[in-house]
Amino acid sequence: MEELLEKLKKKKIKFEIREREEGVKKKEKRRTILVHTPRKILRDTVKMLIETSEDFPHFSVCSFTDCGDHVELNYHFSVGYGKPLKETNIILRVTLKKDDLKVPTLTDLIPATILSEREIKEMTGIEIENIPDGRHMFLTKDFPDGVYPWRRDETAPKETRKLYEVWK
Amino acid sequence: MKYEIPIGPIHPALKEPILLQLTVEGEEIKDVDVIASQNHRGIEWIGMNRNNPVQSIYIAERICGICNISHPSAMMLAVEEAANIEVPERAQYIRVIQCELERIHSHLLWAGVAAHEIGFDSLLHYTWKVREKVMDILELINGNRVTKAIMMYGGVRRDIKKEHIPKIKKMLEYYKEGFDKLAKFFLEDKTVEMRTRNVGILTKEDALKLSAIGPTARASGVKKDVRQDQPYFAYPDFDVKAITPDMFTGEVVGDTYDRIVVRLLEVKQSVEIIERALDEMPSGDILSEPKLAKLLMDLKKAEGEGVGRHEAPRGEVIHYVKLKKDFEPFFSWKVRAPTYSNIMSWIPMLKGCQIADVPIVAASIDPCISCTNRVIRIKGDGKKEIIDGDELHRLSVKKTKRLLEGGS
Repeated sequence: MEELLEKLKKKKIKFEIREREEGVKKKEKRRTILVHTPRKILRDTVKMLIETSEDFPHFSVCSFTDCGDHVELNYHFSVGYGKPLKETNIILRVTLKKDDLKVPTLTDLIPATILSEREIKEMTGIEIENIPDGRHMFLTKDFPDGVYPWRRDETAPKETRKLYEVWK
Repeated sequence: MKYEIPIGPIHPALKEPILLQLTVEGEEIKDVDVIASQNHRGIEWIGMNRNNPVQSIYIAERICGICNISHPSAMMLAVEEAANIEVPERAQYIRVIQCELERIHSHLLWAGVAAHEIGFDSLLHYTWKVREKVMDILELINGNRVTKAIMMYGGVRRDIKKEHIPKIKKMLEYYKEGFDKLAKFFLEDKTVEMRTRNVGILTKEDALKLSAIGPTARASGVKKDVRQDQPYFAYPDFDVKAITPDMFTGEVVGDTYDRIVVRLLEVKQSVEIIERALDEMPSGDILSEPKLAKLLMDLKKAEGEGVGRHEAPRGEVIHYVKLKKDFEPFFSWKVRAPTYSNIMSWIPMLKGCQIADVPIVAASIDPCISCTNRVIRIKGDGKKEIIDGDELHRLSVKKTKRLLEGGS
């Protein structure tokens, strides 16, 4: 873990460490490191993560926030698992401008990212460069183009009805 | 000659809608494609646009009926981190007890399903009879067997009363006494061993690269358990250790049999955790903010983000929540259920297996997607033939009989 932080500092990549205390009799700290990763060094940062972790970084999921003029894309990883109390959450946050929604694929580095990349593509409209499989993941094949359920702008679904209204 | 066989989108072995597109040569599976886009309920959208944060707890409970404590648990951790809410000590213990009760019932439910998939229905009925004990306790302390509505930001909604404790202890005794019998049925039975040993192998390397989690990863030798690696609630007090099959059999194969071993041992582990939690549970409040209107106001004023990770019976469930000031629903909410990470493991597991192994191998990751009752087999001449759930089950039973008679 320390090795990764050293490398991040060396490359002048900004990060924040967050801790929250858990437990009743024994207090333990749940640690999260939020790394502000510019898009152009996303792949290098993931490579760094692979090099410095003992087993292999565990990829959980991608989350997304629409903040108006820009969007936040978070890659949730965890490293140091397998040993009691040694696990740390790592969030790689990529901030993208609304008129330039593109990120490179990570599937060749971490195969498990494919499902999340497919989900991000269909739910948010972010283009994943060189994605090996660009099919829909959760939305049906006939879901309209240009409608992105996780967005909060004009591309968000407009006509949403409650279940009982569907039958009318 | 290669054939394509779709299993799904609705199938008894897979629960919930998902499609497995198999490429087979004779009986052997050569390639697998998983197609998930069969049914999307838009739960995250509802949490981000329509519900207030308290309403979202109860929709999170409905993401999965079996994991109805796990999803709210991960959500509590995320929101409590985002809004900086403290939780009373007693509530942390009650949460641990609820989570472990859920693990017992979920693993026993799975064990029954696994027995059914290989045509061992008497074992299914026995396992589900055993499971009824924990269901009775869930009903006793929550008032409901399935969706329990017990979680709340800053604690739990109902206490475990003094009069409940002897009944819970009686249940724990029942499981302790019955464990050896259950382990004998599952782990020493010739039929179970024949159908599960060396079937659906997931290597440690694949488990790591595909980010497999929960019993699926642990059965392949990855000692990964959120309760051990990054404990939350009152778990730091219990020193939970991740369970791998070598603790019982002395080796890690990573097959379906090992996944049965891990789940059975975890039932035993859960019984021990509940027993300790009942003895050591501190007294005091169960909720840090009992006034709901004030809690909602506080959440509306809060700004921040949080990640909650909880070890559900099927593996790590993770919720990401972002709160924005003066915006009532979650500004951002991402739910990752365990099967999302585990379905990728189906591909290496199923390659090289037979069609009759699909139900048990698919069920071995304990998928949380839903039920098929028909398969369409497309013959070489393009004609379609429908195999229903009964037929597929019959094929599986036939294989067990064939193996018993010394065939393959």
